[in-house]
Amino acid sequence: MNERLVEISDVTKNYRRDEFDIKVLAGVSMDVSKGEFVALMGPSGSGKSTLLNLLAGIDRPTSGLIRVAGQSLGALNDSQLAGWRHRNIGFVFQFYHLIPVLTAFENLELPLTLTKLSRAQRRKKVDLALDVVGLADRKDHYPRQLSGGQEQRVAIARAIVTDPRLVLADEPTGDLDAASAQEILDLLAQLNEEFGKTIVMVTHDPRAAERAGRELHLDKGRLNSAADTALQG
Amino acid sequence: MFKLIRRNLLRNKRRTILTVLSIAIALILLSFLDLLLAAMSGVNSANANRLVVRHAISLTFSMPAAYEQRLAALEHVEGITIMNWFQGRYIDDRPENFFPRFGTDPDTFPDVFPELALSPGEIDAWRAERTAFIAGRALAEEKGWEIGDVITIEGDIYPVDVELTLRGIFTHATDEAAERVLYFDWQYVEEALGNPGQINSFYVLLDSADNMNETIAQAEAMFENAPDQVRAETEAAFFLSFIEMMGNVQFLFSAIGLAVIASIFFITVNTMAMASRERTTEVAVLRTLGFTRSRVLAIVLFESLAVGVLGAAVGLAVMPVVTGAISSVLATQGITFSELRLGERTSALVMGIGVFLGLAAGLVPALQAMNMKIVDGLRRVA
Repeated sequence: MNERLVEISDVTKNYRRDEFDIKVLAGVSMDVSKGEFVALMGPSGSGKSTLLNLLAGIDRPTSGLIRVAGQSLGALNDSQLAGWRHRNIGFVFQFYHLIPVLTAFENLELPLTLTKLSRAQRRKKVDLALDVVGLADRKDHYPRQLSGGQEQRVAIARAIVTDPRLVLADEPTGDLDAASAQEILDLLAQLNEEFGKTIVMVTHDPRAAERAGRELHLDKGRLNSAADTALQG
Repeated sequence: MFKLIRRNLLRNKRRTILTVLSIAIALILLSFLDLLLAAMSGVNSANANRLVVRHAISLTFSMPAAYEQRLAALEHVEGITIMNWFQGRYIDDRPENFFPRFGTDPDTFPDVFPELALSPGEIDAWRAERTAFIAGRALAEEKGWEIGDVITIEGDIYPVDVELTLRGIFTHATDEAAERVLYFDWQYVEEALGNPGQINSFYVLLDSADNMNETIAQAEAMFENAPDQVRAETEAAFFLSFIEMMGNVQFLFSAIGLAVIASIFFITVNTMAMASRERTTEVAVLRTLGFTRSRVLAIVLFESLAVGVLGAAVGLAVMPVVTGAISSVLATQGITFSELRLGERTSALVMGIGVFLGLAAGLVPALQAMNMKIVDGLRRVA
């Protein structure tokens, strides 16, 4: 449980907006162990989504080191980073972002088309992932034919279908009603507890954060170490 | 990946169909212009050893009939006949009753136009009767004429009404348009007019196409100091000059073609850019899932390419119907060049332009998608 999956060391991220330099992250350092479920909290503009994007390798830090599963992301070029992301990261978006012209099954199959798996192997993995999120009977439905909660479950299934080492969720319950949000949190907790998935979840919601094993608080681009709270073990 | 491309194409069916149809219509127009130019430049190519002598000023001027004998005496001339555009009115002025009517010399015509097949009996019958005429099979069938039928053509250019009897129906092996023409004995009109002895053009058959330039020079030099100077040219060139009386047709057609392609290019670019812009977030999601920049580029380009190729395919499918219809209309107007047929060259041109349009129109949105920062794409909607 103590094996470090994520190591972030003194990471800064600055954006330039017109003539202004905006410091979003200011020397963030943190670790996430394998199998952990971490909730990243903080007010709007605190830099939590930026940190998540850096972890996913879809953005690059201004300075500092990010190492995930032993791989320093700064050492990879764009193409290598895309391949690394495909193998190691499952991303869950706040607004699900399923491809609307593809069915639930096809949305899950999409990342698998980048592998050398046969059609039958892909089908097996997709069926399994849909089974885990409880939507096996909705596999031929298009996103518009699903509820918000169901769409997010399909998005979670898409995030885990490649069996990534790290699942990153950016406000996964932010667009859902309370009941659906609860289902999604249950599902994430299940992925963590039953399948041992390492999860880093960005959230505003303290009740959502309570489902995580540890809470990290970001404020004005800095981690508030005093508020780094271990929950439940 | 191809499934995603296919589904994206069908995402906004109306837009895709309209874009495909726009490309198809533009390519139909373009390929038709190309066919027309090709047909014009290749007119009567089977008769490369025939030249036409006409008045140096214009086709509407005529020359003394006596020029025939002097031209016939040139070294490489094997045959010569006269050709006068009679025009006139058959039944009424409706376009379907318009077809080319020429006055010629039945004694010399068959030798100069051997490709128009008539039986010896029909030739003899035509020569034996001043009021006889011959018609192409396509024209005779269209009008329902049979041998022995009598028709009247009211004169307009010439103040003579001619009453003619059909004595022969000729065929052409390859050119249906050549079968939509009527020929009669010019002597009929000549006598009615009081023998003015004026001729529009002489058709001259040479022993070999190799002697064309030499004979053209000799013919023009022969009448250099005469009151009516002549212009001699190959039959194909003569036809082109006839067509080009309307202006520089070739330049006009090329300009229209380019304008059509340019406008459809910008329309397609705009459509593809719109389609791509609507999917900015989806592209960012694909990149997040692990799709490389080059794969994203390929997806957008293939989609655009598919639109271009579909447009070309629809254009090619419809083209035979269009050329058939226009070819028939042109034939009734006396445009007697070879039948417009969609050949390999024009098909390849249409498909090539379809591919170019698709790729070129997709290039900018594809590059934008490829170079987009993922976080910017995700931020667009979220």
